[in-house]
Amino acid sequence: MKKSILIVAIAIVIIIAGISSTVLIQSNNNTDEVNMINAENTANDSEKIMVTTTTNVITDLVENIGGEHVRVTGLMGPGVDPHLYRPSASDVKKLQEADIVFYNGLDLEGKMGDVFVKIGREGTAVWAVSENIPHESLLSLDTTGHFDPHIWWNAELWMEAAKVVATGLSEYDPENSQTYDANLEEFLTQLQNLNENSLEKMKSIPEEQRVLVTAHDAFQYFGHAYGLEEMAIQGWSTDSEAGIREIQNLADEITERKIKAVFVETSISPATIEALEAAVQDRGHDVVIGGELFSDAIGEKGTSEGTYIGAFKHNVDTIVRALK
Amino acid sequence: MVLEEIVTIFFGIFTDYTLRYVALGSAILGITSGALGCFTVLRKQSLFGDALSHAALPGIGIAYLFAGTKDSLFLMLGAAVFAWFGGIVTLGITSTTRIKQDAALGITLSVFFGLGIVLLTYLQSTGGASQGGLDRFLFGQAAALIETDVLNLGILAAGCFVVLIVFFKEFKIATFDSAFGQSLGFPTRYLSALLTSVIVVAVVIGLHTVGVVLMVSMLITPAAAARQWISSLKNMLILSAIFGGISGVVGSMISSTTEGMSTGPIIVITITTILGISLMFSPKQGYLFQYIRKKRQYQNNSKTISSISKETNPRS
Amino acid sequence: MMEHKSEHRNLQEGKVYPIEIRNLSVTYRTEPALWNIDLNFPEGNLIAIVGPNGAGKSTLIKAVMGLVPITAGKVNVYGKSYSKQRSKVAYVPQRGSVDWDFPTDALDVVEMGLYGKLGWLRRPNSQTRKKARECLEKVGLGDYADRQIGQLSGGQQQRVFVARALAQDPQIYLMDEPLNGVDAITEETILSILENLRKEGKTIVMVHHDLQTVDKYFDWVVMLNRSLVATGPIKEVFTKENLDKAYQEKQRVSIR
Repeated sequence: MKKSILIVAIAIVIIIAGISSTVLIQSNNNTDEVNMINAENTANDSEKIMVTTTTNVITDLVENIGGEHVRVTGLMGPGVDPHLYRPSASDVKKLQEADIVFYNGLDLEGKMGDVFVKIGREGTAVWAVSENIPHESLLSLDTTGHFDPHIWWNAELWMEAAKVVATGLSEYDPENSQTYDANLEEFLTQLQNLNENSLEKMKSIPEEQRVLVTAHDAFQYFGHAYGLEEMAIQGWSTDSEAGIREIQNLADEITERKIKAVFVETSISPATIEALEAAVQDRGHDVVIGGELFSDAIGEKGTSEGTYIGAFKHNVDTIVRALK
Repeated sequence: MVLEEIVTIFFGIFTDYTLRYVALGSAILGITSGALGCFTVLRKQSLFGDALSHAALPGIGIAYLFAGTKDSLFLMLGAAVFAWFGGIVTLGITSTTRIKQDAALGITLSVFFGLGIVLLTYLQSTGGASQGGLDRFLFGQAAALIETDVLNLGILAAGCFVVLIVFFKEFKIATFDSAFGQSLGFPTRYLSALLTSVIVVAVVIGLHTVGVVLMVSMLITPAAAARQWISSLKNMLILSAIFGGISGVVGSMISSTTEGMSTGPIIVITITTILGISLMFSPKQGYLFQYIRKKRQYQNNSKTISSISKETNPRS
Repeated sequence: MMEHKSEHRNLQEGKVYPIEIRNLSVTYRTEPALWNIDLNFPEGNLIAIVGPNGAGKSTLIKAVMGLVPITAGKVNVYGKSYSKQRSKVAYVPQRGSVDWDFPTDALDVVEMGLYGKLGWLRRPNSQTRKKARECLEKVGLGDYADRQIGQLSGGQQQRVFVARALAQDPQIYLMDEPLNGVDAITEETILSILENLRKEGKTIVMVHHDLQTVDKYFDWVVMLNRSLVATGPIKEVFTKENLDKAYQEKQRVSIR
């Protein structure tokens, strides 16, 4: 074995490792810069409340309620799967340095549970935005007593989450509680309109087509609220491996009921849905992929789908267009 | 009732799209890794296959980093390149330092795997549609196999077998007596590298079905099972391939019976069961027959001893 | 590093020897395994290579075949480089260098000797099988063709290796301790085969461990201890004096 070949191989590996970590550090810096630019600069940075959130749905929520008084750092960007997300050391640091932490709860951030407990014990205000949702409103999928965490796709339940954020901010910063309440009122009105609008749009889907098939069970609350039957390949966590049986059963059902479209999700590989599509087509039914839905995250900041409202509308429009 | 179920599932291999291609893809993996695994086992490099599979992980991450696409072929290329690196680094460490092969394997395996996990963790934070589930390469996601995937796998496997057939006697002599092979003029170092490359291709095939972590068992177990029954290299390869293929098909079938059953691990359990049966029941080497033979021998010896003592001591 | 005045007997200038070694040195990392070896192997002789452990005996024959990298010097086989003359040389490695649990039978191993002649593209065929069988007969293992090599005794395994070398029809045999730990029948069989080969004018070079039998079996000896101590016909060179030099301690060997 030529020594030179070995040295070249090791060198290449080290160089690639080096490049990767440099890119990593770069991108972390970029995220911070983007946050800075987007936070309204009417007040001094040092006077703003430092909030760290998990999913970008929550980031959007906190920015809506907190307005110019908060500077929000979201750990997970668009396209990130919160079920599998493992916090890095810098993530934990961001949580520790925050004044307030808002996360979803109900085990959405499946691999981060311990971290929140730890941070809470150290004195930081930690809030699960789902904590006030009454148990009767929560949906349970399996026999283990776990609840489906994807509450944000029901606009009414998301109102409860907004209230939690307002409470949390007011508790920390009572001086500005009036502002928070005002922002909350406005946001609640927007959510109310969104809710009514969506219900209206869904009516244009013929009854037999009111079935939503996605990669994982992110839309139970959505389906319940807006009149769609929801089916998925993976369960409510992407942790489990997609099974052959699930695909077979779904393919049978979709073919039988002649459902027009199935949907991929932005934060999940389309491979499983594509496999489902192929299985259905093989059974002789011409199903298509109706579009991409935002499931565990909303869109890129600065785009129209980069807000909760925008992403919600996108989902509704995509579904309606495909199933009409 | 149960029989009905089994028959339905069996025919499902032909009739049901998903099961057909999952079983086919798994069979392709089983056959290829079964045949090639014989060489890793005989070269006493079983864990080398493990190092190669774990080394593939960062390759997947980097392929995604640079290409930003979940394009299956590109990811497989990245996996292959890094698995190959892993092989070179392992062999390089043993030949240029005092570190022995087992330590070199451990080092390479953990470093590359660690690098892979770091990359995957980083990628999860950048998001971007479709990165999701690079995790699936750890344990495979067999259920997502479609026709084009299986076609690609089939081509790769065919390539492996062409190499195997063309270079069979060269691989045989390089494995059995490499010094002698060299004296005949065969470049055994390059043959070793070629064999490693073909095994890397097998690892890439296995990414989809059993994933990086379990791949090693598909290389070792069919070969170990076949060795129990067969004493010629060519037949060992054939039987090992058959065992591997069967475990792929049967594993797929079993995992399709219940919701939420992962296919990759079930395939591994199937081939391990085949190994267990082989260890117990193979005529020459199996425990059961050895036990019977020993018992018989003991009985024969007792009879002989007592008849001898009767002869020498007619009165007792 | 040892400096010995080496005894060279019966070297002739201008003659083409089966193997010529000039200034050969082989180093492993920083240790010299062989140092400045100057040596000719005469044709038609049974040649023993002897020396203490670590003397470089195996290394010497491996260096001839290019199996270990040569630090300095060169080797000629019938005047040309070894790589051009492979078909003229057969290697019988140490028995322990191979895993006898390998799934194959005696016939198959002997057939491997013919892989060189088959080259890259041709496969073993009925001709190679026939030749292999003949060679097995010559070593007395004709009935063992289908036997698993793991089930053979040490002596039988050694004979299989010899049969493999016979199949190559070479001019030169390079053997590494073939008589080590074998039964009487095997020893007899191998020696009588080698004797016949010698009569046919073949050259046999053997690393040999048993000093007691050197003058009984061999015509020529190479005495090695990293560097060359002495080489030449047994009667002249295999002396107490040279033995002491090679082993650097008194050897209890009866010399006739």
